[in-house]
Amino acid sequence: MQTPRATGGRAPDVFTPGGWVPMREYDESEEVDFVIVGTGAGGGTLACKLAEAGFSVVAMDAGPFWRPLEDFASDEAEQSKLFWTDDRLVDGENPLQLGSNNSGKSVGGSTVHFAMVSLRFRPEWFKSRSKLGYGFDWPLDWREMWSYYREVEEALAISGPVNYPWGPPRPRYPYRAHKLNAAALALAEGCEAMGIPWTETPIATLSAPRGRARPCVYRGFCVLGCSTNAKQSALVTWIPRAIAAGAEIRDLAMVGRVEVDGRDRATGVHYHRGGEWRFQRARNVVVAGYAIETPRLLLNSANSRFPEGLANRSGLVGKYLTVQSNQAVWGISGKEIRSYKSPPSLALTEHWNYQDEGKDFHGGYCYMSQGPEPQLWANTQLASRGLWGEALIAEMQNYNHQVGLKMVGEMLPQERNAVTLADETDQYGLPIPRVTYSWCDNDRAMIGHALDFMGQALRATDARDIWKQTDDTCHLNGGARMGDDPQTSVVDADCRSWDIPNLWICDGSVFPTVGGVNPSLTIQAMACRTGDRIAAMARRGEL
Amino acid sequence: MRGRNAAIAVSGLFAAAVLGGLAARSNRPAPIRQPPREQAARQLDLGAATLAGSVLFDSAVEHYRGSFEHRGMYVPLAVASATIAASLSGARQPNRMRTGVHVLAMLTGVAGLGFHIYDISKRPGGWSWQNLFYAAPVGAPGALSLAGLTGLAGQQLRTGQVRPDSQSGRALAALAAIGILGDVAEVWLLHFRGAFHNPAMVLPVTIPPVASLCLAGVAAGAGRPSLRTTRGWLWATAATGLAGVGFHAWGVHRMMGGWRNWSQNLLEGPPLPAPPSYTGLALAGLAATRLMEEAHE
Repeated sequence: MQTPRATGGRAPDVFTPGGWVPMREYDESEEVDFVIVGTGAGGGTLACKLAEAGFSVVAMDAGPFWRPLEDFASDEAEQSKLFWTDDRLVDGENPLQLGSNNSGKSVGGSTVHFAMVSLRFRPEWFKSRSKLGYGFDWPLDWREMWSYYREVEEALAISGPVNYPWGPPRPRYPYRAHKLNAAALALAEGCEAMGIPWTETPIATLSAPRGRARPCVYRGFCVLGCSTNAKQSALVTWIPRAIAAGAEIRDLAMVGRVEVDGRDRATGVHYHRGGEWRFQRARNVVVAGYAIETPRLLLNSANSRFPEGLANRSGLVGKYLTVQSNQAVWGISGKEIRSYKSPPSLALTEHWNYQDEGKDFHGGYCYMSQGPEPQLWANTQLASRGLWGEALIAEMQNYNHQVGLKMVGEMLPQERNAVTLADETDQYGLPIPRVTYSWCDNDRAMIGHALDFMGQALRATDARDIWKQTDDTCHLNGGARMGDDPQTSVVDADCRSWDIPNLWICDGSVFPTVGGVNPSLTIQAMACRTGDRIAAMARRGEL
Repeated sequence: MRGRNAAIAVSGLFAAAVLGGLAARSNRPAPIRQPPREQAARQLDLGAATLAGSVLFDSAVEHYRGSFEHRGMYVPLAVASATIAASLSGARQPNRMRTGVHVLAMLTGVAGLGFHIYDISKRPGGWSWQNLFYAAPVGAPGALSLAGLTGLAGQQLRTGQVRPDSQSGRALAALAAIGILGDVAEVWLLHFRGAFHNPAMVLPVTIPPVASLCLAGVAAGAGRPSLRTTRGWLWATAATGLAGVGFHAWGVHRMMGGWRNWSQNLLEGPPLPAPPSYTGLALAGLAATRLMEEAHE
């Protein structure tokens, strides 16, 4: 899609094919209270919170404003339109694969194609340096974050188990768990054989009707965009709420530079929309472009007063990029699994997140059942096992019987893992990011542990021909981390940059550590907290 | 079998059972003013037929959804149809075949409970919320046993095998009280699965329990609540059962594709035939109060 849809005082109605909802629009010369760069888990959520608190908000996204009911096809190649596939360079000892499961370019960000797994951090992870002896402490208290987790779980009507086996007691999930598919039952069988607990995954897709959204039909195309709106992405939850509260969403608007004046205050953003560069004035700028585009924008916005990039007096913008390990074991079941049915990760175990004994590494991991679509599965067979031609065709015959377990593991933050600027430029003429990544010994030890354990669990089912997928990663975090000390962090606990008081960063890039669970719930909880904090500061005149 | 053919087949079975039953009774003139015993018997007949009708359609939908994996899954359809016909035929004379049908319904319900319990316990996780929500519904076959019991009571009352006294009234009240309570448990479980997302979902777990309590009072011979109050709650329960069909039709509309996608959403959405089981049990309860009243007079 090349032409912006959210114009002329209206925005697409995500719940009606061809429908529109009225949307307030702001003049570029008008100094809005907040311009937000990015509309995903961080920016979309914050746009809603700020608009509902009465601020004037313009939220921009480089991607299109979809209507899932009419724009999403059951076709993997077509749906790659949801991914951020602009040029990027990757290097380091373990270069990342970018462009599908770890990035999104849509209004709603990567929540439009996320796997909907909505897990809370283990409380100790907010103080992992003090309590567990590795990584860094967050400047946030887990109890406060847990109350914001609740707010997000209610906003997304998370479907989850009646009782959650790990961690402190939590309120009941708003909706009940979905029916498990055969892939999830294989996880359960493996866990029971290994003597560890398992549960239904708390997941952001509806198990009952809600408002104008229909319950899940188990189409199973979740990570390529939900065409029924059962998935509670930012696109169908926070964004409609934000628009109803008076926020303006500008789609296909790529922000290239944040302008800062001589008094070290941000004054607005330069953005590319409709074939030209434009400027929106703002009293506050929030950068929410995720762990690559956020550092890139800050670095690209360097000026004479901030020659190393905005908010970068600590020198840490782009540093400590931290992903999660996403290795898997796969096998062939005697039964038909048909794992493409239903959301891909309906069951999980967090055993190794909460169990500290018996580990030769720091941090934790969970693992989940899996349901790769056929094209992705063929790619995996090619990339991980080198299968091609006859061998690949033969292996694909097993597609309906393949079953797997995949980890989401906590990698440790390292300064050398970083986003920097390359000399090449992209279609907007902006320097593209260079993403450098290397695993450390701890990362390798955890991956080894997980692959062994998951392998034993899978062997305890009827799966045979078991093999290990050793190279995958997911979920980008860090790159503009939060902390208590301006020398060692980019933003404070309120996501406000230390160097420029009206510049905020609200996405996964502020994570000091990543934990062993998918980050989207934590990003949204943090955005809810930031929204409340900004409203409180505004009331006290502290903005 | 395609969805449309299956729907036609089950509707035909239901129509044949109803018409067959009514045809058997239509050859006798109706009295001008019916004695209370006759009224109670008629209510029991109607209650049994309603319960059996609910079981016929509900098990047809759910077992079709389960692809009739075992041949035993056809049994409740046949037995429920026979129960409808036997109940509506309104026999004045003892008849072995009718008695046999009602006893068969009772036994089939008990066997069904056994199969459903087995289905739950063999799954990973065993007696977990997941399996209570999504495996075979644990209490549902009990409705067929209740239909058989209710039909048998109606038949015995009419043929004089049971006297229309307060003792049989209390026994019947106890049966209806327990039946309603079992139904409430099932409804609560499934509405909890739906997270009570629509406020109306609370109605069938609040009104019928009150009716059940009233009936328990009647059964205990406590003298309170009054028969009049009890009847009020029973009529409310009967209405809840009928309104439930409407609410569930609304629920089907809220699934993806709504009624246009009926062949999928009748299976995946809230079960249309389930709520009238309340109506059937409420009719049995009303028959009990009728007997008590006659005994008082």
